[in-house]
Amino acid sequence: MSQQIFHDRESDLSYRPSWQVSRVAIYAVLLLWALICLFPIYWTITTSFKAAPDVMQGNMVPWVDFTPKWLGMRSLGFSPEAIFAESTVREEFLKRFWNSTVVAVSSSLLALILGSCAAYGLSRFDYRFGFMRNSDLSFFFLSQLILPPVVLALPFLVLYKELALLDTRIGLILLYTLTVLPIVIWIMRDQFGSIPTELEEAALVDGLSVWGAFLTIIVPIALPGMVAAFILSLVLTWNEYFFAALLTSTNAKTLPVMVASQTGSQGISWWSMAALSSAAILPLIVIGIFLERFIIKGMAAGAVK
Amino acid sequence: MTFMRRCLHHVGHGTREDNFVKVEIYNAIMQRQKMSRRRMLKGAASVGAMAAIGGVSTGVAMRPALAAGEDNLRSEILKIPGVGMGSPTDADWQKVGELCLGPTRERVAEGEFDGVELTFMGLNNQNLHNFLFRGFLKPWEAYTGAKINWIDLAQADYNARLQQSIATGTVDFDIIEMGAPFEGDTAGRGLLDEMPDWVKEQIEAEDLVGYLQPPVGTWDGKTFRVTIDGDCHTFAYRKDYFGDGSITGRAEPPKTWQEVNEISKELAGKTDPLTGLPAHGYLDPLKGWGGFGFYFIENRATAYVKHPDDPAWLFDPDTMKPRVNNPGWVQAIQDVMDLIGTEGAYPADQINADPGTTAFQQFLAGTGSMLMWWGDVGSSARTSDTSVVGDVVGFGINPGSDRRYNSATGEWEDTYNEAPNMAYIGWGVYVTTRAASDEKTRKAAWSAAAHLGGKDISLWMSAYPSGFQPYRNSHFQYEEWEAAGYDRAYVEDYLGSNLDSYNHPNAAIEPRIPGIFQYYSVAEDELAKGFAGQYSSAQETADAIAAAWEKITDQIGRESQIALYKASLGM
Amino acid sequence: MIRTEGDQLHVVTADNISDRRRLFGKSLIWGSAALLVLIIALQIADQSGRVALGFETWRPTLYAYVLWAGCVCWGQVILHGEHGKRSLFILPAALFVISMVVFPLIFALGIAFSNWNLSSPDGRQFNGLDNVRQMWGDPFYWNALRNMVWYVLAIVVEYAIAFGLALLLNSQIRARKFFRVAFLLPLMLSPVAVSWMIGKSMLEIRFGPIARLARELGWSSPSFFGSPEMARAMIMIMDAWTFIPFMMIMILAGLQAIPRELREAAEVDGAPAWRRFWEITFPLMLPVSVTAILIRIIFKLKLADVIINVTSGGPGGATDSVTSFIFREYRDRSNVGYGTLLAIVYLVLIVIAMTALMKIADRWMKPRY
Repeated sequence: MSQQIFHDRESDLSYRPSWQVSRVAIYAVLLLWALICLFPIYWTITTSFKAAPDVMQGNMVPWVDFTPKWLGMRSLGFSPEAIFAESTVREEFLKRFWNSTVVAVSSSLLALILGSCAAYGLSRFDYRFGFMRNSDLSFFFLSQLILPPVVLALPFLVLYKELALLDTRIGLILLYTLTVLPIVIWIMRDQFGSIPTELEEAALVDGLSVWGAFLTIIVPIALPGMVAAFILSLVLTWNEYFFAALLTSTNAKTLPVMVASQTGSQGISWWSMAALSSAAILPLIVIGIFLERFIIKGMAAGAVK
Repeated sequence: MTFMRRCLHHVGHGTREDNFVKVEIYNAIMQRQKMSRRRMLKGAASVGAMAAIGGVSTGVAMRPALAAGEDNLRSEILKIPGVGMGSPTDADWQKVGELCLGPTRERVAEGEFDGVELTFMGLNNQNLHNFLFRGFLKPWEAYTGAKINWIDLAQADYNARLQQSIATGTVDFDIIEMGAPFEGDTAGRGLLDEMPDWVKEQIEAEDLVGYLQPPVGTWDGKTFRVTIDGDCHTFAYRKDYFGDGSITGRAEPPKTWQEVNEISKELAGKTDPLTGLPAHGYLDPLKGWGGFGFYFIENRATAYVKHPDDPAWLFDPDTMKPRVNNPGWVQAIQDVMDLIGTEGAYPADQINADPGTTAFQQFLAGTGSMLMWWGDVGSSARTSDTSVVGDVVGFGINPGSDRRYNSATGEWEDTYNEAPNMAYIGWGVYVTTRAASDEKTRKAAWSAAAHLGGKDISLWMSAYPSGFQPYRNSHFQYEEWEAAGYDRAYVEDYLGSNLDSYNHPNAAIEPRIPGIFQYYSVAEDELAKGFAGQYSSAQETADAIAAAWEKITDQIGRESQIALYKASLGM
Repeated sequence: MIRTEGDQLHVVTADNISDRRRLFGKSLIWGSAALLVLIIALQIADQSGRVALGFETWRPTLYAYVLWAGCVCWGQVILHGEHGKRSLFILPAALFVISMVVFPLIFALGIAFSNWNLSSPDGRQFNGLDNVRQMWGDPFYWNALRNMVWYVLAIVVEYAIAFGLALLLNSQIRARKFFRVAFLLPLMLSPVAVSWMIGKSMLEIRFGPIARLARELGWSSPSFFGSPEMARAMIMIMDAWTFIPFMMIMILAGLQAIPRELREAAEVDGAPAWRRFWEITFPLMLPVSVTAILIRIIFKLKLADVIINVTSGGPGGATDSVTSFIFREYRDRSNVGYGTLLAIVYLVLIVIAMTALMKIADRWMKPRY
């Protein structure tokens, strides 16, 4: 007869049933919140296949309480019978989609390059520009984030007109870079801050220059963080509406402007609104699904020092 | 006759290889024979214009006699896609645009505008307006060789974008779709190009209804506008709410705003016969709409304040002193507040309903029984995918009032008064001076504008969801609508209400002064506060609006506003 | 100009910078600066009509600025060697931000102190402090500022929810990847699309699924935007829906970085779960929480898209945010002078508030480290 080494304490015994209850509660909460997050997306996508009576009756499940129709896709020229015909709407949509892609990706990349360098500098060296020290410089960059867009609206309109940058993708890219740069610097500064300086010191002793050490050693380590910063920038630039509406007209117009203009004097065609919204959110959803781990990893490094 | 047949073939078919007859020859024949295009086509059709068969370039098969004759043309386009077939699509727009190219072919040679690029700024509402124009102009582009770039604006961005372009000198468009209220901002500053005479001929401007004839559409005696829309608010009601045994218990729909309010109060708590949901009376939009919401309080107010002896009703023309806080206007605001105070008179959340919601989400979807809206609600009720009330809608003109306020005497008069509100005076297509820099571009721009404002294409636009409503005398030929599949009684009811409003002797026409939407916008903000109960009375709300209006007048310049206001009233 | 003492990264560098090299560097910087000034002067002269050079745009100035910026960067390396290379990290970003923000901001100040209604035929006129006076007596602006306080306070609730979700995601659960992705998605959506599909469609009181659910739950006539409090709450919820994932990720990232030993030690101690949370997890999470809340406040201060699209500030201004009000003043009424002033005052207010908050947060957090 062997002596039991570990005893269940009183509290542990009562723990069992309550553990199960709490498991159920945890999953209930998780599922509820997942529903809250996913239902609107489901609603948007299904609505693009509903006819007016289906929308009015609030039908929800395709094939069960309504028959999916190609209304939404047709309004964009993507329904089966329209896809091979010439469609002015589809041309317009594709043009805007392409513009959105180019602008969002380029500005996020540019912000990532500028921002990572600046963030690295801020985390490693002690700068002094006149009265500005590192903390002031950081605040200078971050304060751009606070800037309300209306402050810059008219000045930019005039400035861009003078520089012939109105209605150009380049103009939009520069402006978007400015708006997401603070976020990139914020995230990347924490990223670099969490990487021990011994790594570079060793590299420098080995004869690498500061830039060489940065590019060959630090950047690969900080890559998840960079991906996170890139995705966040992408989200913000892809969805930007105000400046896009203000500064573009024909050549550089983007998708959100098209979504917003689904309203006006003729009510809302829910299906086409929904089809456009789905198209506008789909690329980001795909990115979210495939690159989600980078976002959390990227933020983790800087979260707790 | 062979020649004629070939000629027709050209008109109907229009592919580039078929350019057998030169446009000049065609025109010369027309001149010499003093024969209208219509007669010529008709004559030809009877001799056997079956030769004109052939697919349009969109590749959609057409029925035989399609290209033959204008009457046929009008009835054919009305069948695209047909009443009850749901909303038209891009392919339908292109088809209609192709079929209506005739007038363009008469004046423009094929490929004449090769190399010309035009920029067109317009609205992008629910995929109508610009989307429609794109479809219509696609065949025009293919024929003339010009290329059009598009600036699409949300309605809410429209005013802002236009003003910014003007103020910063960035007018980057050649053709603009614009409402008449903005003529003060554009024509008043010399930004528009005067319409050439050949355009007037092409669009047959004499066909426009009376109130759209000059001075409306002109500025300083010059014509700038290719009208593509006529605007007035008409009264739409649910026929199943009225008549024997109906839930209102009244035989006739209301004739005055006093009755409208009575009915709305009585209906609270009852059930809608069509949908089984709660029944409601008149649908006031209580939320702003970038300035457009103000038209709806105007609808109530014009009956009280638009005195037949006085063209002015928003401001005193001599001083620009707002009239919006006179007893008539205050009564209109009070009427709305009365309904807000009546539990169940409005649908829940009405405080968050803008005009678009009341018309398309509520009325057409079967909620509420009375509505004021632009004429296009009539065609939308029958042809739009959103509508469930197509069979039970009736129309009338803006309700009147048992008494009216005379601002000259400062007294109420116990006389019946009605005054339809010509809200917005319609959209038009204008050409800017930017396009007028060289003759080829100018002609191209005007040709595109004229194509959109053409007599036949406009019939289609007023019959189908387009954002535009009837504006030509020729739109009121009821047989055409009947032939297209509309029910005769319905069409007479719907179109008749528009015609009655257009021709009303006491129509309330809005001032075309600069910044008019600023006045409306600030009024919306103050009204929203009043409706939410933040002001103690209707009078206080109206006083706040008046104060804000005075500020705007001073900012824009009182003297110039007075002069322009008087000019727009024809005083 | 730039010294790099007290660096985190200590490197011993011995740069021998000759006088000739120094001279070359200086002349490079000053030469390009002179070129920039020359081109600006020429363009101004051209604009004012004194010389006809046929400039169509100000692009030449832009190119000269880019050239100058490049020369400044290069000059740093020439003048300061290794130290100069370090400033290369930050110079491009700084020059970019300065050119994109500082110049327009100065121009904006000019607009803010003028009477400029775009519809006015007189154009822009300097009017001193009139706009400030008008702002002082503008009930809509103060109302919007008051609303902003409410909106910002709602972040406390968002934070609590985000923290709860992060804890759940960090506990031992199955299908964690699925839940993480699902919880993250709302962040990705465009505010414009959200306001239409949720604000207009799902909250539609007759057929919207949320209204139908509310009816099932016994609320006979649901109204989501009828009363000021309710409308404000709905705006808060819609905004929270998109941004809770953001705070959640940051907190989750923080939780995952807590050393396992710490938690295990606490578990061995046998302390009950809630005490473990309060005494270990929560204090450890303070820094990341503060960062998350600060960023969230900044985003919240720009709240506008949802309001503009769903309520236009109604009922009676109850949901107006400062930005949405300025948008109306600016867009619908073309009153750009006044609108810009309101925006600049708002900017000053929030910069002061944020600076104060950051300082407080810094001081408050330091002793706990």
